[in-house]
Amino acid sequence: MADSDTELIKRAQAQDLDAFCLLAERYARRIHLLASHYCQNTQDAEDLSQEVWLKAYQAVQTFRFDSSFYTWLRRITINTFLNHRRSNFFRWRGNTTVVQLLQIDSDDSGELVGSRSASPENIYNKLLFENVVNALAELTPSQRLAFLLRHYEGMSYDEIANAMNCSTGTAKKGVWRAIAKLRARLSPDSHDEPEPLIDLASEY
Amino acid sequence: MHNCTETKERLMELVLDGRSAQASELNTCAECRAEFEALNMTLRLTSRLSETAAPAESYWSGYHARLRQKLATTPNPSHAETQRRKEKLGPLFETMRLCVRTQVRVPLPLALAVIVTCLALGVFAIRRAETPPTQPAAQPPLLVRVPVEVPVVQEKVVTRVVYRDLRSSSKNPRRAINDAPTESTFAKSGLNGFKPTDEIKLTVIKGGTPYEK
Repeated sequence: MADSDTELIKRAQAQDLDAFCLLAERYARRIHLLASHYCQNTQDAEDLSQEVWLKAYQAVQTFRFDSSFYTWLRRITINTFLNHRRSNFFRWRGNTTVVQLLQIDSDDSGELVGSRSASPENIYNKLLFENVVNALAELTPSQRLAFLLRHYEGMSYDEIANAMNCSTGTAKKGVWRAIAKLRARLSPDSHDEPEPLIDLASEY
Repeated sequence: MHNCTETKERLMELVLDGRSAQASELNTCAECRAEFEALNMTLRLTSRLSETAAPAESYWSGYHARLRQKLATTPNPSHAETQRRKEKLGPLFETMRLCVRTQVRVPLPLALAVIVTCLALGVFAIRRAETPPTQPAAQPPLLVRVPVEVPVVQEKVVTRVVYRDLRSSSKNPRRAINDAPTESTFAKSGLNGFKPTDEIKLTVIKGGTPYEK
C-alpha cells in the first residue's frame, strides 16, 4: 500500500530524502506542466521545476498541514515563477519551434509526445503546440501566470490575487486580457492562422 | 435588453468554468454566439497543449534521477537552518563559539588557588552587600524649657442700651449719649473685677422707649 502524503511529509521532515523523492514523483508532472507552460522551453521548465523542488525540500520543515501539500507546493511554485519573472532567467527562443519540427524523429530526452513520429496527426499536434506556445509567449508574464492558474489550476480570482499578491480586479483583468490575446491569435478569424490548425481544433 | 459587452464578459467566465452557454441568449445575438465559439475553441486549444507538451515517459526517470542528485547535494533542512543562523550572526557567532570551545591547560594548584580566591571574594562581596551602610548617629533632640509670659488681655465688650429721652433732652440730644460710665455704673452692672478698657461700644436704637422690653 502506498504511503499517504502525510506519512511521506512527516518522513521528509525527519530528513528522509527517499520520502521526499516519492512526494516529488507524485507531483512532479503537475509542477513541470505549469513550468513548461510558463516558460515555454523544456530546459527552462526543468530548471524551474527542479528549483521549486529544491526550495520545497529546504522548507518542508515549515509545512504545518494547514493546507494540502499540493496547495503549499503550488505557492512555492508561483513564488519561484514570480522571482524569476523579475530576473533574466528565461532564455526566450523565438525560432526553436522550427528546429523542433525538423527534429521530429530525434531521440532527445526533452522531446515532446507529439514529436515522436512524423504522422500527419503528430505534425498537426506539433503545429498546434507551436501556435499555442507562441500565443502564450506574447502574453506578459503576469497575464500568462494568471491565465495558467485560472485555466489549468482552476483557481478562483481571489486565490490568484492572493498568490500573486495583487488585487482581485487585477487578477481578473490579467486573465481576461490573456484570453482576449489568445483568442485574437488562435481564433479562426485570425488571418495568420494556418488552416490545418483550425481544422484540428474543431475536431476536439 | 441584450448587452453584447456584458454577455461577452459572462461568456468568458462560462467558458473558463467549462459550462455551456444558455442557448436562448446566444440565439438572439449572432455576434455573441460567434464570440462564444471562438473562446471555446481558444481554450480547447490551450487545453490540448497540456497533452501535447507533456514529456515522454522516458523523460521522467532521468528527471527524477537529476532531481535526486540535486537534493542529495543540497544541505538538509536542519543544516541549512543552522547555516542561515550562522550567516546571520556572522563574526559574533564565530567569536562566541571560539570562547566556549577554547581549552587552556592550567596547573591544578593554580586553578585551586584561583577558585578559592574567587570564592573568598564572592563571600566578602555578599557579606558587604548584606551590611547596611553606616550612617551618622541621629542626635536626640535637646529640649529646653523656656518660660514665656504671654500677656492675657482681659477684655469684655459691654453693650448698653442707651435711650435718648426726647422729652427731657430735646435741647441737647447728645448729652445722654456722651455721658461717660462711672464706677457706680460698673457696680450696678455686676462688672466688678474687670478692668474697663478705653473703648466702649454703644448700640443706639432709634425710636425705642425706656420701658420697652
